[in-house]
Amino acid sequence: MTEDAPLTPHEEDQALAAELALGLLDDDDLAAANTRVSEDAGFARMVLDWQERLAGLAEELTPVMAPARARHAIRERLGHASPPLANDPTERRAWWRGPMGALTGLLAIAAVAAFLWMPGQQSPAPQPGFQAQLQVQDSEMRVAARLDGREMEIATENGALPSDRDLEIWWIKPDGSAPVSIGLVPRDGNLRMTLPEGLDPAEDIKIALSNEPLGGSPTGQATGPVVAISDLTRS
Amino acid sequence: MNDARRTELERLISRISLGDRDAFDALYDATSAKLHAVCLSVLRDRPEAEETLQEVYIRIWQSASRYASNGLSPMTWLITIARNRSIDKLRARGSRPVTAPEDAAASVASLEPCPESATIMAQERQMLNECLAKLADAQAGAVRAVYLEGVTYADLAQRENMPVNTVRSWLRRSLLRLKDCVSQ
Repeated sequence: MTEDAPLTPHEEDQALAAELALGLLDDDDLAAANTRVSEDAGFARMVLDWQERLAGLAEELTPVMAPARARHAIRERLGHASPPLANDPTERRAWWRGPMGALTGLLAIAAVAAFLWMPGQQSPAPQPGFQAQLQVQDSEMRVAARLDGREMEIATENGALPSDRDLEIWWIKPDGSAPVSIGLVPRDGNLRMTLPEGLDPAEDIKIALSNEPLGGSPTGQATGPVVAISDLTRS
Repeated sequence: MNDARRTELERLISRISLGDRDAFDALYDATSAKLHAVCLSVLRDRPEAEETLQEVYIRIWQSASRYASNGLSPMTWLITIARNRSIDKLRARGSRPVTAPEDAAASVASLEPCPESATIMAQERQMLNECLAKLADAQAGAVRAVYLEGVTYADLAQRENMPVNTVRSWLRRSLLRLKDCVSQ
């Protein structure tokens, strides 16, 4: 294909299908292309094929975990979850939450404890866990990452975040692949999440913190200096 | 994407179409970091990307029942929803939606599910990077920027210092060359 030869009709169609899939058309061109999709199955197929072909480009993007609140917001918007305080606090308490319930609970715990302490009884094997202690450079701040199975918790153990910067948490695999952002060190409370597919806790994984603008790296890749890094160790 | 993962995602989407919330949670776990990256790549703004990601999953929940007939692989369907929603948001900073709905093509009743098509497309995927490397750097960069950052012809014209019409014909030829290369 030389730069000057006009496109053949088939090439014109392919180029138009690509432009539609990419969102490059405006106004009349866009309306015409959309009409064509609804009337011409061959052209519609070309658009789908372009979507399929180009989606491969997204494979090169480094995954970035969204904060846990995104999932909560989705559940709320779909009516899958009750928002916090959705229960009326003045509602009559269930019996097991009253004093008798507490007493029954204590007795049950005592019975279980007595059972576990009986000689010859083995306590259940602890869940495989990992942890990392992240001491932030030139700062009082210390952040702990704890893993219980695939559940991860991030907690600030000492110090506090500056008001104008955030710390982004990165999961670094030993294979040299791009670090995966797993969220921001929370300003209050702890961050809890389930690890996404492809992130598997192991002793050769490193957890790092980078110093980022508020809200985290705008690009999905670390933009600020790495201020803490640590291996995962068995806990 | 390997076949096992593809089958697993298809199974989750079909369960979601029946209103299965556990399947929806599992799909979110498996794909949200990638889709968030797509939103972030286009929007370059964390809060807006997070908001868009929410809209994307709401759309996935609502349109899962139409997935089976659209002829896209599951990951392409998900990525296309995330990208289109993000591009529309990006353009909305200026004007109005410009993307084709991800299931528009699927609404054509005569679309035949092509059994070989999925395999052929998977092979093309693998070729994509190889073929991008064969394009001139500026061409490959422009294709990436248009897909991953939502760059328009006007932006490209400015970036490459060329008239819009020239840049359009240049990108169209780059895309056709890419297609010829991947479908060899």
